[in-house]
Amino acid sequence: MPTEAIDPPGIDWVRVSPKYVTVRVAGWALGTLVAVALLSLPLVLVLSGTWAWPPLWLAVAVPAVWLLLALWRLALIPRQVRSIGYAEREDDLLIRRGIFYQRILVVPYGRMQYVDIAVGPVERPLGLCTLKLHTASAGTSAEIPGLPASEGARLREQLSARGEARLAGL
Amino acid sequence: MALTPEGTRAGDAGWLRVHPASPFVRGWVALAALFVFFGRDTFERLLQGGPLFDEGFAGRAPWLLLGGGTLLLLTVVGFILSWYFTRYQVADGYVRVNTGFLFRQQRQARLDRVQAIDVVQPFLARIFGLAELRFEVADAGESAVHLAYLRADEARQLRATILAGASGAAGSPLLPSAAPDPGQPATAAVEAPERTVLTVPPSRLLGSLLLSEQSVAIAAGGIASVMLSAVTENRSFTVFLIPAVIGLVASYWNSFNHGYNFTAADSPDGLRLRYGLLDTRAQTVPPGRIQALKVSQPPLWRLFGWYRVQVNVAGYGLAGSAGEGAARTTLLPVGSLAEALEVLSLVIPDPGTPEPGKVFTAGIAGLAQAAGTPGPGMSGNADRPDDDGGFVTTPRRARLLAPLGWRRNGFTATETALLLRSGRWWRNLVVVPHQRTQSMALQQGPLARRFQVVDLVLHTTAGPVAPRLIQAGLDEARTLLEAQSARARAARKRQKSEHWIDPATEPAQTPAEDTQEGPHHG
Repeated sequence: MPTEAIDPPGIDWVRVSPKYVTVRVAGWALGTLVAVALLSLPLVLVLSGTWAWPPLWLAVAVPAVWLLLALWRLALIPRQVRSIGYAEREDDLLIRRGIFYQRILVVPYGRMQYVDIAVGPVERPLGLCTLKLHTASAGTSAEIPGLPASEGARLREQLSARGEARLAGL
Repeated sequence: MALTPEGTRAGDAGWLRVHPASPFVRGWVALAALFVFFGRDTFERLLQGGPLFDEGFAGRAPWLLLGGGTLLLLTVVGFILSWYFTRYQVADGYVRVNTGFLFRQQRQARLDRVQAIDVVQPFLARIFGLAELRFEVADAGESAVHLAYLRADEARQLRATILAGASGAAGSPLLPSAAPDPGQPATAAVEAPERTVLTVPPSRLLGSLLLSEQSVAIAAGGIASVMLSAVTENRSFTVFLIPAVIGLVASYWNSFNHGYNFTAADSPDGLRLRYGLLDTRAQTVPPGRIQALKVSQPPLWRLFGWYRVQVNVAGYGLAGSAGEGAARTTLLPVGSLAEALEVLSLVIPDPGTPEPGKVFTAGIAGLAQAAGTPGPGMSGNADRPDDDGGFVTTPRRARLLAPLGWRRNGFTATETALLLRSGRWWRNLVVVPHQRTQSMALQQGPLARRFQVVDLVLHTTAGPVAPRLIQAGLDEARTLLEAQSARARAARKRQKSEHWIDPATEPAQTPAEDTQEGPHHG
C-alpha cells in the first residue's frame, strides 16, 4: 500500500479477489498487442522498403517506447488491484481505488437507485463479477470489480435490502 | 412514472382532450411545406408578373389538385386522429396521458414526483392564445407529461390543479385519501398567490450579454483575425468569418430572447420564473426541488457587480450551450448581489445559519487572510466573527498550486447546506442542500499529494452545476467527508415526504424558523 493514503481513518477495507489481476492482465495484453501491432506497421513498411520517410531509429523507437510504458503499467496492475477496496458501513458504502490517482467514494444506501452485476468473458471462468451502483447522479460511477460471484450476489442482496430500508427520494 | 397495463381508466369521466387546433399549430411546418411545394410555381409566376397559369396548366391541373388534395387530406386526417386519441386526466394523485392511435401509449406520473412544471408559449401558439404544459419528473430526459396545446388560461388552471395535488395541501381533492370517489375528475384548484420579487430590465440584460465571457472571446478572436490578415495580407479568409458572425448573432439573439422580461416571483408552490420575448415560458419550481445551485460572476461583470444564478433540477437535465436548456436552468440571468441573495433566500428558505447574508456574501466575494485559515476542526461553524464567513480554504502550503485561487477555494457548512466557493476572477459559489447530496468522492492526484491537498466532489443530478471542492487540506477534507455523510443522513431522515404543504411531514423545528409562508424540506 502507498504510504500516504487519503482514506478516512478507522475503516476495514474488504479487498477484491487477487484473481482480478488476471482479468486486468488479459485486458492489458489485448490492448497492448493491438497498439504495438499498429505502431509497428511503419517499421515493417520501412524494412520492406515501401516507405522512405520515417528513419529506422524512429520506426523502432515508437513501438519500443510504447511497449516500455505498457510494461510499466503491467507492473503496476497488481498494486492497483490491491488498492481496490470497499467497506460496508451502517448507512453508506465506501469504495476506494487507485495509487497515484486515488479516489474514495461514499454512496449512501438510501441514494441507490439500482444495482447491476456484470460478468465478462474473462471474469466468468475465474468466478468473478463486477458490481455497479447507480444513483440519480451520472457522476457517481461506483463500481466494484473483481468480486467473487457469491460475494457479488450477497452484496447485491444486502445493498438492495439496505437501500429499501433507508430509501429516500431524490 | 409507469405505464398502465391497459384499460385502467375508470370510465370516461374526467378525461379531457387538448385544444383541437393544437396539431395544426404543432404541424404547421408540414402544412407550410405542402403549400410551398405546390404553390411555388404559381407564386414565382406571380412575382415575375407573368400570367397566373401557364398554357399547359389546364392539362396538369387535375393531377396537381388530386396529388395535393390527397396529401392534404392525409395530413389533416392524421392530425385529427392524433388529436382525438390524445387524452389526459388529473385524478387520484396521478396525471395520466393516453396518446397514439396505431401505437398506443398510456402514461401516468405521480403528482408528488413533480420536479418542475413549465407553461410554454411558442410564438405561433401565442398568437392563437394557446400554451403547452410540461410536467417534469426526475429522469432528466424528455418531459414526463407534455400537453400541447391547451388554452392559455386552461394551462394555468391545470398547473394550479397539479401543484395543489402535488403539494399535499389540506383539502386537496387529488390525494387518494381525500378523494371519496376514485376516478373523480379533479375540481378546479385556486392558483396560489404570488409576489413578484425581481425583474431584469432589458438594458441590463443587453449589458450582461455584451460583457459576457462569450463577448471577450469574440473580441479576442476578432483582434487576432484582423492582425492575422494584416500580417499575411490575405483577405480571403474573412469570407469564413461570415458564418461565424451569423452563428454569434443567433446565439446572442437566443440569449436575449430567452432572458427578455425575466421575472421571478415567490409563491407557496415555489419559485415562479417568467421570461421570453417571442416564445414565453413560465416555470414553477416547487420548494426543495433544487439539487444544487451556483452563483457565478464572469470577470467583466464585476464592473457592475452583476451575478448569475443557475441550478440543477432533476427534471431539466443537462443544459445546452445557449438554447432552451440553459434558459431553463437559470434562476437569475443577471442581477445585483442583493437580488442574487434574495433568490438564494427563496430557494433555500432555511439557510441554517444565524447570519445568512454574511455567510453567502463571504462565499460570493470573500477572501481568506493571506496568513491562511484556521487549522482542522474549525470547519462548519460560522461562529467565529473574525474569519470570512467560516470558510475553510486551501492551506497555505498549497499556495503554489493555485497562486490566485488558494485564498478563495474553500467550503463551509450550515445546518442545511454545504457551500463551496472558488475562483478569484471567475467567482463561483456552489450551494448543495444536505438532503440533496447523492454521493461524494475524495480525489487526489500525484501533484496534489505532494502538497497534502485533496479534492472533494459532490455528485448531483445532471445540470450546469458540478459541485467540487478544490484543493482542500487532507485532514479538513477527511473530516468534511465524515461530517457531510452524517449531515446528509440526518437531513434525509428528516425528509419524509415529497409533499411540501402536508402539515404532518413538517420537520420538528422551532416555530421561530418556520415564519416563512413557503415551507421547506419538501
